[in-house]
Amino acid sequence: MDRPRTDWTGIAFATALTLLIVFPLLVVATWAFTNVWRYPSVIPQEFGLRYWHAVLGRADVWTSITTSLTLATVVTLISAAICLPAAYAFARLEFPGRNILFFSFLAGHAFPKFGLLVAIAGIFLNLGLIGTFWGVVLIQLVGTLLFMIWIPVAAFQSVDRRMEESARDVGASPLRVFWSITLPQAGPTIAAALLLSFVGTFYETEGAWLIGAPQVRTLPVLMISFINNQPVIQFGAVLSVLLWVPSFIALLFARRVIGSGSFARGFGG
Amino acid sequence: MPASDIVGRARGRVPTGLLLVAPPVALVCWMIIWPIFSAIARTLWLPDPEGGRQLSVATYTFFFTDSYSLNNLAITLWTTGVCAAFLLPICLSIALYLRFADGKLAAYVQGLAIFPMFVPSIILSYALIRVLGPNGTVDLLLNSVGLPKINTPYLTPWGPVIGLVWDNIPITVLILLSGLGAVSDQSIEAARDVGANRRSVFWHIILPRITNSILVAISFTVLGIFSAFTLPYVLGPAAPEMMGPFMQRTFRDLNDPTTAITQAVITFCFCIAFGIFYVRSVAKNRKA
Repeated sequence: MDRPRTDWTGIAFATALTLLIVFPLLVVATWAFTNVWRYPSVIPQEFGLRYWHAVLGRADVWTSITTSLTLATVVTLISAAICLPAAYAFARLEFPGRNILFFSFLAGHAFPKFGLLVAIAGIFLNLGLIGTFWGVVLIQLVGTLLFMIWIPVAAFQSVDRRMEESARDVGASPLRVFWSITLPQAGPTIAAALLLSFVGTFYETEGAWLIGAPQVRTLPVLMISFINNQPVIQFGAVLSVLLWVPSFIALLFARRVIGSGSFARGFGG
Repeated sequence: MPASDIVGRARGRVPTGLLLVAPPVALVCWMIIWPIFSAIARTLWLPDPEGGRQLSVATYTFFFTDSYSLNNLAITLWTTGVCAAFLLPICLSIALYLRFADGKLAAYVQGLAIFPMFVPSIILSYALIRVLGPNGTVDLLLNSVGLPKINTPYLTPWGPVIGLVWDNIPITVLILLSGLGAVSDQSIEAARDVGANRRSVFWHIILPRITNSILVAISFTVLGIFSAFTLPYVLGPAAPEMMGPFMQRTFRDLNDPTTAITQAVITFCFCIAFGIFYVRSVAKNRKA
């Protein structure tokens, strides 16, 4: 039996990526738990939670957290309310123009995003939506449409139709079939789409900054002003760690989904 | 009830399906299609002194004669080109490694390559400032071994380049990896059997099969980077600035929506070919 060769390429990639991807984030995490770190010491003089108290004691941080969570919840709920029935229709019903309407959700992806946002902002200006909560809701809602329709459509299509039919045969009502057969099978995928919509909206920065700032300040928008105007390094570091929490939750859920090829195919790969 | 019943009963009226898909479709029409046409219209039909509107290319003439605007466009093209030139070889080599390796180390490399997807760009910007900025961690480490500080890329055109490359690695790797999945082991073994070395296997067997994926990856990157906002705004220089921050400043700070929308239409024109190609590939994949 020959011994496996040492995977030098793999070691090189692993080292380089650890250094370039993990290291900068570890630096920020270290800053967040540092009370004193003066140049030119390589390690902080004093670790501690002082700046966590300071950051969590700021009114603007709490306002931003509330704004971000409210926005993400409202956008996800509205998106679910209008997209899930539409996804069901695309998956199960026949109607004129079905294909072209299905692909119409791609329209926004043919354009550079920020340019499109500026064009939308031009419309919002006339409607008085600039600087308002609902203006931001609308702009973020548009960003969720594509995957809130495409992912659930795939989920509804993969439900076993024979099970639904046999339930109907033994006398179950259409609503009962939907509730007891269709939904449990499509449920996990739909839940993933909802999570994606929530997290995506939570981190959406460009629309919130262009349409909402300074009146509507989400957490990422607050972070931008911390980077630009806040001389105390730890404030930004603590906020970064707070800001990363939803992404971390999404990471735990998404690990399996992303490894599979179907995810990359969704991006046209 | 089965779909056929619904459709059958609804004959003569609007089919239920159309009613169900109407709200999101209406939203797309109102918030994507209409703004694009409106943007083109309001930058070409400008208000005239008599209170009406007339056909004019004045805002576009201004953009293409104003040296500040042209510099911003140039830095945007430069950044997009440089990012693509870095991303493609880096991601292609990672993807090639992942395609032919297995085991724990490969899983670790894949995990790391995809990980930036779960780091919001705003956190990334902050991390890069802390590491590469003035008196950042790199400076600390160099200083501790007695070396001079680096010329920090923060607030230079290289700042956004580093951030955007970092940010775009996961999706580029995923797209290329999915393309490499279509290259069969047999075709590579067959080429090896007739004596092809690694280089000619890559050029003659692998490359022709993943050309489409490479083009998709380039299109996606160009669309994302050309109008990137957050990373250039936070990491880049104040002047010249990339189109994203430039449009934002013109719209909000200078309060000049017509000029900002002109800039937006110009970015559309520069990206239209990539946009159409990208959308076509996604649509083709979805159908299959």
